[in-house]
Amino acid sequence: MIPRRSPAERRRARRRSALRKYGVVLLLLAPWIIGFVVFTAGPMVVSFLWSFTHYDMASPPHWVGLDNYRFMFGLGKINGQRMSDPNYWLSVKNTLFIISFGVPLRVVFSMLTAMLLTRPKRGVNTYRTLFFMPSMAPKVAAALVFVYLLNPTTGPINQLLNLIPGVHGNAPAWFYDPPYAKPALLILGLWGIGDAIVIYLAGLLSVPRELYEAISIEGAGAWQRFRNVTLPMITPVIFFTIVMGVIDGFQYFDQAFIAGNVSSGQTSILGSPQNSLLFYGVNLYQWAFRNFAMGYASALAWVLFAATMAVTAVLLLTSKRWVHYGGGNQ
Amino acid sequence: MKRLLLCLVLIAALALITGCGAKKTSTGPGPASTSHTPVTLTVWHPWTVPSEKNGFANAVAGFHAQYPWITLKIVSFPDSATFDQSLIQAINGGHAPDVAISFGPDYVGQYAHDGLWLDLKPFLARDKVPADQFAPAALTYCQYEGKEVALPVLTDAYGLYYNKAMFAKAGISGPPKTMSELTADAEKLTVRNADGSIKIAGFVPIDTWEELDTTDLARAWGGTYFDTQGKPQLATDPAWASALQWQKQLVDWYGYDNIYKKFFSTYTSSEFSANNAFETGKVAMVFDGEWRTRMIANDGSKVNYGTAPFPVADDHPELYGAGRVGGTITGIPKTSQHPDQAWFLVKYMATDTNFLVQLANNLGNVPTTKASATSPELSMPPQFQTFIDIWNNPKSSYAPPIEAQGSGYANALTTFDQKWLAGKVPDLQAGLQQVDKNVASTLSVSQVP
Repeated sequence: MIPRRSPAERRRARRRSALRKYGVVLLLLAPWIIGFVVFTAGPMVVSFLWSFTHYDMASPPHWVGLDNYRFMFGLGKINGQRMSDPNYWLSVKNTLFIISFGVPLRVVFSMLTAMLLTRPKRGVNTYRTLFFMPSMAPKVAAALVFVYLLNPTTGPINQLLNLIPGVHGNAPAWFYDPPYAKPALLILGLWGIGDAIVIYLAGLLSVPRELYEAISIEGAGAWQRFRNVTLPMITPVIFFTIVMGVIDGFQYFDQAFIAGNVSSGQTSILGSPQNSLLFYGVNLYQWAFRNFAMGYASALAWVLFAATMAVTAVLLLTSKRWVHYGGGNQ
Repeated sequence: MKRLLLCLVLIAALALITGCGAKKTSTGPGPASTSHTPVTLTVWHPWTVPSEKNGFANAVAGFHAQYPWITLKIVSFPDSATFDQSLIQAINGGHAPDVAISFGPDYVGQYAHDGLWLDLKPFLARDKVPADQFAPAALTYCQYEGKEVALPVLTDAYGLYYNKAMFAKAGISGPPKTMSELTADAEKLTVRNADGSIKIAGFVPIDTWEELDTTDLARAWGGTYFDTQGKPQLATDPAWASALQWQKQLVDWYGYDNIYKKFFSTYTSSEFSANNAFETGKVAMVFDGEWRTRMIANDGSKVNYGTAPFPVADDHPELYGAGRVGGTITGIPKTSQHPDQAWFLVKYMATDTNFLVQLANNLGNVPTTKASATSPELSMPPQFQTFIDIWNNPKSSYAPPIEAQGSGYANALTTFDQKWLAGKVPDLQAGLQQVDKNVASTLSVSQVP
């Protein structure tokens, strides 16, 4: 006869076995947990604390309360004088510009290109590879190439533009003229939409054939097929590219950093010409590594984090109204 | 952006790992060490080109001959741009070298303010190292807040390069000495294409054109960045407005689109290549450092050139001969395990004539002691003498001025100048007041006690 165990004993035994089970799980997860704590969670906590200090990375952080946040929004005084980040709102404006234009352009162009890529009967893989290839190029290398391609006088693009009657000599100066500098970055962004094209392609190819057949029987034309079948069926892909595009847009840095450096002729100058490429990330870099203000840069990073979270949350909430996940009404 | 985030995360991680625990901190020197116990000194330097690395290793070999009990472990740092940041991390982590050689006078303020490098004054006094063997300009970037944390090991000096053949063709007898002469000569030497665009520019007056900085133009009027209380005074010192007006006048004469959007954009990235605009005859005059003499020779350029101090304002003839200087420095990180022996090396590198001459001949920079600058062993082209003279001029100085918060504050002026030259600034005075405010703001939020 098996001796009966008291409820307390049973609880203890369950706990032991659970501990054994979770112990193994924890052991297996340990490399990730340690990495996460040391390289992500820990530094995040530290940077949050730094955001309330003046810290030059050399001497110990000096507690200043909310001064960094006040400085950011121009709300306070330092040493009795009203001080504010002279470029904060400009960097916000520039970042919103690249998001507002960059994300829709990326969505529309990658969707249209993907639709074209579903058409050819022969050489499909060649076309797909060709369109995908640019997104493999490192951002820095791509930016360097575009600064040369778009050089106002020696760049091949302007040499072609200048051949057009009426344009001669008046083609845009791109990275040397503020109104054209951000559009030049948008062109660079459109060149590298290969990753999004691949996702749209997968989305387009997974739209069930029978839906097209059904709507065709009802006499729908190409536009109605697109409007009533294709578009609703790929809304999850559109939503995904928008969310990722917005997050990337908030963190826009590499291309602007390189373009500003190369076009100004000086590695110490960021955001050139005339701060038109001073995005939020570039401003943050300037404060952290040029002005030795790691405390204020940490505050900037936390506001960026909060803004990104907020916008992503809003997108998620609105998505319920227009994103249709597959599986009909489920 | 990922790189930036990675940098931030790594720095934070390093701070976590290394903590702020107690580190061995050296204090001032006692009597000079007479011990001959074998010691190995670690030395970090930022030279990356093989010929420069070897040049330094060969030149410093003389130290071991003088101090046979001291062995040097020389570490060439792979990226000169991040050298000082990495050094600071190493000092905070307690694994910094015994001796550091840095390209960055911009960090001297932080090294002194935060006590990261030892104050060398007690060592200099103890060993009675004559201060007057260095040019007075050395003090403008080797000390801050009264602490002399570094000594110069070769320097850069900046002046005017001019194309003699073009001068002769235009009938100009010698280099311009005043800013009005510079304007007149620049206009005379400029050659335009049929459509008005510029084929050869007399002088490109744009900030960030190669080595030129608006600070160098303001120097011609005797402009200084900060007042005696340390407040930025670009709006109140009239030199700045004069310099900016001079600059704009010449830019307008060329036409902004011609000189900036077309000419500047074509040649600005060729500064350090054999396609350099001065070396290939696209500009007649240029503001540049002494190293150009070496580059002209190395690139095989046939340009027939002369050098001179940069011109000065017509009403400031007393300033002629001075210019911007500043270059490689050496010092002792506070965590050095052997500060006494480290001092022997620092003193050697800053004052030994043979070492300085050998290194100068290798690198093409200005030797920093009077003895090395006049040594018969120094083998430089005749045009080089201008830069030695600029280094020795008592009015020469480093610019922009050293601050504990680095030189990032100077970007406010650069951006303002870009707008000003593009014609986007309706009121110069109001604009300069805003620059002053921006500089003060930048310095205030980076300030640590």
